Amino acid sequence: MDPAEVEFLAEKEPVTVIPNFSLDKVYLIGGDLGPFNPGLPVDVPVWLALNLKQRQRCRIVPPAWMDVEKLEELRDLERREEAFSPVPSPYYMELTKLLLNYASDNIPKADEIRTLVKDIWDTRIAKLRLSADSFISQMEAHAKLDNLTLMEINTVRVFLLDSLNCMYKLRSNLQPDICNCDFFFFISY
Amino acid sequence: MSDALSDDGSDINQDDSQEDTMTPAELIVKLEEAWLNEKFSPELLENKSEVVECVMEQLTHMEANLQRVKKGDAKAGIHRMEIDRIRFVLSSYLRSRLQKIEKFFPHVLEREKSREDGEASLLSPEEFAFAKEYYANTETYLKAVALKRMPPNLQTVDMLKAVPEPCLDSFVFLRVKERQENILVEPETDDQREYVVDLEEGSQHLMRYRTIAPLISSGAVQLI
Repeated sequence: MDPAEVEFLAEKEPVTVIPNFSLDKVYLIGGDLGPFNPGLPVDVPVWLALNLKQRQRCRIVPPAWMDVEKLEELRDLERREEAFSPVPSPYYMELTKLLLNYASDNIPKADEIRTLVKDIWDTRIAKLRLSADSFISQMEAHAKLDNLTLMEINTVRVFLLDSLNCMYKLRSNLQPDICNCDFFFFISY
Repeated sequence: MSDALSDDGSDINQDDSQEDTMTPAELIVKLEEAWLNEKFSPELLENKSEVVECVMEQLTHMEANLQRVKKGDAKAGIHRMEIDRIRFVLSSYLRSRLQKIEKFFPHVLEREKSREDGEASLLSPEEFAFAKEYYANTETYLKAVALKRMPPNLQTVDMLKAVPEPCLDSFVFLRVKERQENILVEPETDDQREYVVDLEEGSQHLMRYRTIAPLISSGAVQLI
């Protein structure tokens, strides 16, 4: 999956905005939005929030977890624990990136938040690499991956799954009748 | 203008309740689930032509409404953006199915042939036509460029053997939507023993596709 597609999914998350215009309820296929009144907070999907923000039609209210103190706690917890700790949002990385890139003037201490989220991400990815390594070296057949987000899974997906497949083929070729999957696609165009 | 668009919501709901009890929002969720499942499963899944048709209907309906709206209307812009997003998911879904059909065409057609009456087809009628044509074209092409220059005893090629089957033993990532008990995990090596796991609702796992393939069509797990 392309990282942009994960970001696409993240853009469906709701975020609170304070519009500076008024508009009746909008009946979208995916659900109703609004009504919009100047100064009154309203929940919209991130894709719309960013669009309104870019046209300077609203102010974005950062999600509650996007706060230096809370993120510091999370970072320390993440560093302390060996397992993956729960994340504040299944799309924390993508949302941080999107909101900070397009609405950093609405988010207090944007730079600190960026660094903290990056720290959390780095710690988690390091854990993920370690556990992928032990998964492969112990030749496990099942792993539980609670608290991992889609973006994190996506960063290891292609490499991990391809290596697992390759190893499986190499191993099963020792016992020929197990797998019919061929190494090569014979008719390649 | 606002009338044309405000009517939408209720119109669509009525349309839908006649053929199905799904709301348009649920329909979009279904499409997204089908999209992700199709993207990540190694083999071609059952076609969801019902969902595809309903979504298409919603899109054409909404686009028809937008035709009647003046340019530069704030609501119309929002609707257009949503339509573009849904259209992206829809085409990405259909595209990933076509890619799999191209990759596994002899096996897909073989499965279609051995299908019993009453059993749901993997392919939509359009996809079936595409697969058949793809098969014929590939065969003609191979004949034209290579096979007819071969010695007579080597002039046939068995597509079923020449094209690899989908590898059902690949690993997949999944999220559990309905709790499952006693899922058998086969051992990787001979000196390991098989064991069972319970899949708790909301938990995420990495395991072989073959083990959980039936749970995807029943909707109990979602590939991620």
